Amino acid sequence: MGKPTWGKWGTWEETEAFLGKQVGQNTGADDVEKGSIRRWLEPKEFDCPLHYDEEAAKCAGHEGIVAPSTMVFTYGIPAYWQPGDPHAKPGDPPKGIPIPVIFDVPAPCTLSFASDIEVEFFAPMRINDTITCSSRLTDIKHKTLKVGKGAFMCQEDTYTNQAGETVAVSRLTIFRFVPPDKGDE
Amino acid sequence: MTEWDKQLYFDDVVVDAELEPVSIPLSLQRLVMEAGANRDLSSIHHDTEAAVATGAPGVYMNTYFIMGMIERLVREWMGLQGQIKKIGPLRMKMFNCVGDTVVFRGKVRQKNEENHLVVLDIQSETRNGETVTAEATVCLPRRN
Repeated sequence: MGKPTWGKWGTWEETEAFLGKQVGQNTGADDVEKGSIRRWLEPKEFDCPLHYDEEAAKCAGHEGIVAPSTMVFTYGIPAYWQPGDPHAKPGDPPKGIPIPVIFDVPAPCTLSFASDIEVEFFAPMRINDTITCSSRLTDIKHKTLKVGKGAFMCQEDTYTNQAGETVAVSRLTIFRFVPPDKGDE
Repeated sequence: MTEWDKQLYFDDVVVDAELEPVSIPLSLQRLVMEAGANRDLSSIHHDTEAAVATGAPGVYMNTYFIMGMIERLVREWMGLQGQIKKIGPLRMKMFNCVGDTVVFRGKVRQKNEENHLVVLDIQSETRNGETVTAEATVCLPRRN
């Protein structure tokens, strides 16, 4: 299921130079709060009192309302625009979400697709928490697939709160490649 | 309606038992509402022209939405005192597109007596077949 996306161009030597290093860090645009939790539950028709009922959350052993665990991705995303940023110009392309292994790590590839993702959860997200996401490039495995020649690259994202506690760690594997006709080196 | 006063205990979990499935119809309105709420505003999830240009039949569910629906499936099954420890590896097999109704299912694969962890096999499907496979690991309370 290949899908053309973005990707910074560069040589494999340049890609390798990023291995094991932090390739991005973002602090979420919004702190954890009831309004954004409600709007996240709404399209999923997800009725769970842990996420809106203080008493129910306490009865279940929490200090108060907690955000859904998988909402950690949302709380790690920076603003698409914030005060101080330049205003958009007519014809500017839409902005993508920050996936540093695609956006900031150069590779001799034009296309990419995400092959798998896993996420582990640790500390809960409480009201007023601020979530920061640090990304590392942890693995590069060269491979030729039907869709083209490239490499499976693993981005490990560690989400922490303002106290420095780890909230979640996710590992996203992305195959970046060039289609066969352009792949002759 | 989920009865939230019911709690699932580790002791009562049976291997191979199936979770009550959850389903969600993907109208364009829902996909837009979801993109705004989960902040993945990539064009492929709400702009038909952009999605079709990448080879998809239409705009489709993003990963955060899929993750959130898996959380709903698991939460409704295990009750308020269960803890989600891990989701994944999660693999996308086919697009969940606008117009589809996506059904999420789960089944108990194994129980670990030492740490009260339960591993679930999760899948989603549309009329076109299986779209996503995943594992989930949860920790459940024990009866006293």
